[in-house]
Amino acid sequence: MRRWMGMPIAAVMALTACVTINVYFPAAEAKEAAKEFVEKVIGEDAQQSTPAVDPDSPGDGGGMAFRFDPLMLIGIAPAHAQSQPDITIKTPAIQSIQSGMQRRFDGSLKAHFDSGALGFTNDGLVSVRDASLIGLSDRVAVNQAVADQNRDAKAVYREVAVANKHPEWESQIRAVFSRQWIASARSGWWYQDAGGSWKQK
Amino acid sequence: MLSSMPRLPVPMLPLLLLLCTMQAHAHSAVVKIARVITPVATLDKVELTLAWPDDAREGRLRMHAARVDAAELGYHFSALEWECPLRRDGNGGWQCDGLLRAGGSAPAMLSINLASASTDAVLSSKQARLAIHRRAATPDDTTIELSKVPLAWVQALSSQAWAAGHLRAGSLDGHLVVHAPEQPPLRVSGHLRATAVAIETPDGSVASERLDGGFDIDYRSFPDATEVSIDGRLSGGEFLYGTSYISLTEGSRRFAIDALRKGDDGWMFPRVEWNDGDSLRIHGSAGFTPATDLQTLDVSLESSDLGSLSKGYLSGWLAIAGLSGLQAKGALEARIGVKNAQLAVVDARLYDIALLDPGTALAFDGLDGSLRFSDGGVVDSQLQWTSGSLAGIPFGAATLPWRSSQGDLDARADIEVPMLAGVVRFEGLHLRLPRDGKGFTMRSGLVVDQLELGRLSAIFGGPPFSGTLSGTIPVMRYADDRLDFDGGLTMQLFDGRIDVSALAMERPFGVAPSLTADFALHDLDLRTITGVFDLGSINGRLEGRIDGLRLVDWSPAAFDAELHTIRKAGVRQRISQRAVQGISSVGDASFVSSVQGKLIGMFDDFGYANIGISCRLSNEVCSMGGLHSAGAGFTIVEGAGIPRLDVVGFNHDVDWPTLVERVMAATSGDVAPVIE
Repeated sequence: MRRWMGMPIAAVMALTACVTINVYFPAAEAKEAAKEFVEKVIGEDAQQSTPAVDPDSPGDGGGMAFRFDPLMLIGIAPAHAQSQPDITIKTPAIQSIQSGMQRRFDGSLKAHFDSGALGFTNDGLVSVRDASLIGLSDRVAVNQAVADQNRDAKAVYREVAVANKHPEWESQIRAVFSRQWIASARSGWWYQDAGGSWKQK
Repeated sequence: MLSSMPRLPVPMLPLLLLLCTMQAHAHSAVVKIARVITPVATLDKVELTLAWPDDAREGRLRMHAARVDAAELGYHFSALEWECPLRRDGNGGWQCDGLLRAGGSAPAMLSINLASASTDAVLSSKQARLAIHRRAATPDDTTIELSKVPLAWVQALSSQAWAAGHLRAGSLDGHLVVHAPEQPPLRVSGHLRATAVAIETPDGSVASERLDGGFDIDYRSFPDATEVSIDGRLSGGEFLYGTSYISLTEGSRRFAIDALRKGDDGWMFPRVEWNDGDSLRIHGSAGFTPATDLQTLDVSLESSDLGSLSKGYLSGWLAIAGLSGLQAKGALEARIGVKNAQLAVVDARLYDIALLDPGTALAFDGLDGSLRFSDGGVVDSQLQWTSGSLAGIPFGAATLPWRSSQGDLDARADIEVPMLAGVVRFEGLHLRLPRDGKGFTMRSGLVVDQLELGRLSAIFGGPPFSGTLSGTIPVMRYADDRLDFDGGLTMQLFDGRIDVSALAMERPFGVAPSLTADFALHDLDLRTITGVFDLGSINGRLEGRIDGLRLVDWSPAAFDAELHTIRKAGVRQRISQRAVQGISSVGDASFVSSVQGKLIGMFDDFGYANIGISCRLSNEVCSMGGLHSAGAGFTIVEGAGIPRLDVVGFNHDVDWPTLVERVMAATSGDVAPVIE
């Protein structure tokens, strides 16, 4: 009984001290995970990561603030404050989406990246950059493949964030992936720079 | 490609008339004119040279113009040169055939015949032939006959009307009359037959391939406006406008267009008509921005065969929406109005429509009635269906009375949908279509009344049991691919109750739909549960919780579950031999018995004090626990009485797929006990 006596005082201290613990977005782990994912989708012989793209990651410094939990005083700390954040993308749902993206990339998208018709946008998606390079009869199918690929990509960015119990990381994960698609792109493929203009790698 | 094509020789004609005024007796003559202005074209720095040796039957004519501009028709040439042998035609006229060259283009043969009452010019190149005829009596009119003329020859004329349209392939046959009086308008009219037309805009947003058709055309050019009327038939090919892709297979379709453009404004189409039989009939008007984006639209359309409409006209839209497999039947009439590039009015009448999307497993049958949408004043409509299904779960007939105003769509009354022998009721359903850059949103109250869970189980091949699902969701909201529910649902089943709360869905109709929820289990009858799932037999009552359950693509991705028995007066707590084996196998546990292990097989069931198991699923690993720790393991079953039997688990972290396999094996009775 006696050991509980201190609790109200500790709680008052906790409330007045207003301690904030920052948990930072694990940028390095996210980049590694994104690289593994992207290169599996693009294919084995995808060009390795090159410094052609500015690796500055504006999202790296962004941190989430968690309120101090009075329970920490008695040794029950929130799990995220104890463990080093990690990025997990090996959930069955993500892997299943990844296989679908890989098949679609091989089956239809890659040829149009080679021709210059498609490009990677600066927000982690694929876009038809020059439709005139796609035969009219193919154009509807390619538009569909692009729409499907983007739906899958958005689901992946969301799921990676949620599976890691930080839904609020979605935009940072998307930023990491968008840099990785460009970094893993083959020479000759097109991508959008930060300002939105198309560049050829 | 375009630059290699020979061009219209219209500006040549007055020049030759000029030639007639020359004295032909001279050995040679040179005429230099700074500028020749004709109704159709202006020629700059023109030089005519005629060499005619004495007693020769013919002379040599050479014409050079530094620049030729037929501005109204869109043609501009530099360094135009034509050289030919000039001879009399025996009827008081002149004739000259020779090669015409212009600014690096491939040469074409130009033949000119100047008779006393008429002028004929024929421009030919390979199979293409363009013949021009003028009569002195009607100097304002020029007749043009076209035969296999490459479409590229009219590129400049077409660019006048539509700058971005690049005519990539195709040919024209037919006849045209160019009427070029002193006073505008310049007018081109006639009938043309187009074959294998391919058009493309630089951004690829508008394109056609292999279009075949014939049409009457009437083109009028005023100083500040252009008008075109086209009336004809299309018999094949494919056409793309933005997301709309139209594939014209067999048969021919009548179409008619009146188009008008003032200055640099976009094109207005006061009359648009399209008749593709049962597939689609359209009439109305449309207006585009200078960048050919749709700005206004007011069309009535009808289709008595939605199947061919979706295949022939909607495939592009359905593909983008992820509904490429949509199957449709039935008929539709609609009036659609677009103002300022935003949907303003829809007034649709549906006739016995059936829709099935295999992707989302959503289906409607007997969809009938009206659906009206307005971004202004109030309009009412009423839609109904006779049956449907969602993810394999059938639902019954429903009536949806709508009211629309200011871009919103509200149900005028509660919508009741019979489902699983109960009713799902939507209260205060409110929809907002995408506009002003915001996506589709939905808001509604939801009452679920006595849905039979046994039927649900049967649909998905589960075991038969009785139970109901009821509850009230005061508000559910859909926005940005996310469906959130306030409030909760209650399942009455297994003689107890399961409360479902914190429900949310992401991408409910999209990629890897996810569902999150918290479940609280209250006083469930374990005997019924074990009976239903064929887990042997446990007598007792069960309580517990499954927090943070997250299903992705309908498979568990995460949860934090804890289930335990509760003592209740009058309830015997017994567990059967087979249930012990099942639990042991699932919990990767061993029997710890106060009696000889081998003796366990001699008893059918055992008494127990408590059963408890927990699992926290994360990253495909289930972190297991029991009632309390027992040495290196954890106790799942705490025995009572004689023989006393405890079940202790030792494996704290279990691979989730392995665990699922074990549960499957346990429910099929396919487990071997491990007895220590």
